[in-house]
Amino acid sequence: MDTSMIIISLIAVIGTLIVAFAVSVWLPGIERKFVQARIQQRVGPPISSPGFMAPIKFFFKQVMSPNSPMPKLYNALPLVTLIIVTLILLVTMPQMYFLGAFASIIAVVGLLKIEEIMYMFMGSLSKSVLSVNMPFPDRVKGAKHIDATRSFIEEVSTLRAFRLIAFGSFPLYIALFVPVAMAKSIYLADIVGYQQLNGPILFTVAGVIGAIVYFIGSMILLNEYPFAIMKTKADVIEGPYLEYMSKYRAYTYITRGLLIFVLASLFTTMFIGIPPNILSPGILITIAVAIIFSILMAVMSAFSPVFTFRQFYPVVAATSILGVLAIVASFL
Amino acid sequence: MDNNNKVTTQVIETEVPMGTIHSAALEPYRLRLFVEDEIVRDAELTIGVNHRGIERIMEGLPVEKANSLTEKICGICSNSHIWNSCLTAEKGLEIDIPPRAEYIRIIMGELERLHSHLLYLAHGSEVLGHETFSMRLFYIRETVMELLRMIGGNRVQYGASIIGGVRPRCELDEMRIQKLTEGMDYLEEKIGEFADRFVRDPMVISRISGIGAITKADARRLATTGPTLRATGIEVDLRRDMEQYEPFEFDVITQDTGDIKANLLMRVLEIPESIKIIRQAIKDLPEGKITNRSWEMQDTDIIRSYIEVPRGKLYHSYKIEDGRVRNSIVRTPSITNINTMEFACIGTHITDAQLAVVQCDPCFTCTDRAVQIVDHPLKKIKTV
Repeated sequence: MDTSMIIISLIAVIGTLIVAFAVSVWLPGIERKFVQARIQQRVGPPISSPGFMAPIKFFFKQVMSPNSPMPKLYNALPLVTLIIVTLILLVTMPQMYFLGAFASIIAVVGLLKIEEIMYMFMGSLSKSVLSVNMPFPDRVKGAKHIDATRSFIEEVSTLRAFRLIAFGSFPLYIALFVPVAMAKSIYLADIVGYQQLNGPILFTVAGVIGAIVYFIGSMILLNEYPFAIMKTKADVIEGPYLEYMSKYRAYTYITRGLLIFVLASLFTTMFIGIPPNILSPGILITIAVAIIFSILMAVMSAFSPVFTFRQFYPVVAATSILGVLAIVASFL
Repeated sequence: MDNNNKVTTQVIETEVPMGTIHSAALEPYRLRLFVEDEIVRDAELTIGVNHRGIERIMEGLPVEKANSLTEKICGICSNSHIWNSCLTAEKGLEIDIPPRAEYIRIIMGELERLHSHLLYLAHGSEVLGHETFSMRLFYIRETVMELLRMIGGNRVQYGASIIGGVRPRCELDEMRIQKLTEGMDYLEEKIGEFADRFVRDPMVISRISGIGAITKADARRLATTGPTLRATGIEVDLRRDMEQYEPFEFDVITQDTGDIKANLLMRVLEIPESIKIIRQAIKDLPEGKITNRSWEMQDTDIIRSYIEVPRGKLYHSYKIEDGRVRNSIVRTPSITNINTMEFACIGTHITDAQLAVVQCDPCFTCTDRAVQIVDHPLKKIKTV
């Protein structure tokens, strides 16, 4: 590889990252302003507010120490999550395919798992004033069960984050293996190459089913309503994010926007065969898919209540079965 | 329908306390949930952080002033409080109310029921996680709020009653009657559309069916009141016994299951009944004055008055000495429903527990008045 190739690759990688960040900051605004607010017949926030202006505002807010046993670690986690999400985008870029196993579906799944584990750490390190720490005389004469172990609401969300890792994210990972089964390779380069030769996987029966499963899996991973068990307003409120403030909250906002883009980009790579690359016009399709993902998720969220386990488990099980069917169909 | 689980006698290991500040709670209350794998086995609901001592402030005030103070007990049912407080005085002082004033009071009472039920449905939808339903219900509610503002002068604290009738600004002229009629037509159409959409939504129905169920026997044992009681199938509505409601035809709505679905549907189905009462009141509105000022102040014994308000049975009592209020007691429906709220949580998932509390339509701002005074050196306890 000569120097000019290296420079062009570097420009492509940096350019793609810039485009990804630039697009991702508008996605939460599109969700909130153009879809949810219209459905709910209200004005809604300015489109730049949820993903762009809010993080900027939070960067200038006063930093206060959270109610956490390890505040520095707790505050570092959003940045770590942002780096992990950025890494997922990096490994899907064609300029990174020389990394071999690091540019494979295994690496993507591994990084997504680490991203999920971060919520467990966040939840277990948060001890907000909204539950146990509230100065309220609970354990007084006549009170019920005064010997019970007391649990913070963030700990409940930690347990739910664990359930998401163990069970909830099944559909997404199963869907990711549909292109793997069709291309008979775990390497992203091979999956993209297969689609360039045979057309997008999305246009096959297995691909269509896989795409549906992938979309539902993405909603679960993003904790969008109705799958928002980890941050349900009715009980755990913001869950793992509850204690984040100022710039640390800004990181969580940026991460969320970027994660929507990354999942859309992963979809175009796996199901359409177009990896994120600023040097290719295919980046426009990636951006279009990201916007479509945001709109569809917002529509789904606006018309559904939050699920409890009673609804969550059957939906995840049914979607996973559908994913397995897609894999079986991919062999036919 | 029965609850899935009863309180277990075994040792409860985990407690998840919530509040007094919580996104699912409109008002401050402390909810301690005792759980086993996110299933609530027992619950404890405590209020007391919003105590303002209104009865104590009422003590010794002239009756008119004390009555107007009761309006400040609650923002949602301000009209009900001042209405019942005036009824208490009118009962003790044997004051006749002009029929036109009675009708205006009924219209205000039913408008209040409409806005309270719509608020309940909107808040319930919000706790359910259905923001769209919540927003749409708040839009529908706006019509009622504007009608309350038109008659009462405010969107909150719009109480109409004074001793002997209603305030002069609450007189209903042609324009107001026309607006009321249009408002009822709009409301009937919109609530019909909402009810249709609500019962056809499979995701919503799966979230609310069979959750937080209260049986008839439990409701009787727990002294449940209001629509929450009627949602269990018990047909009790104090409006049937109130002489003010005698001229009006309306049905007492009941449901059978006592769960969250039944409670939500109860309010949806009570809305057309309130609309029906308001239409009758507008149609048959008597002519004449709206205030009877020919009465004399006198000393009385303890006077008691009960009325049916949106949340259930409201009790006011006081005695009058030298034109001033003594020994005032106000008991709101939510205080009697607290036990039901705790009970409804049992057997539900944590996410449903707040919804189980909300299904009983709590209004702790007006409930928060019982205070336990502990005289420490003597260990003497007195509940006021």
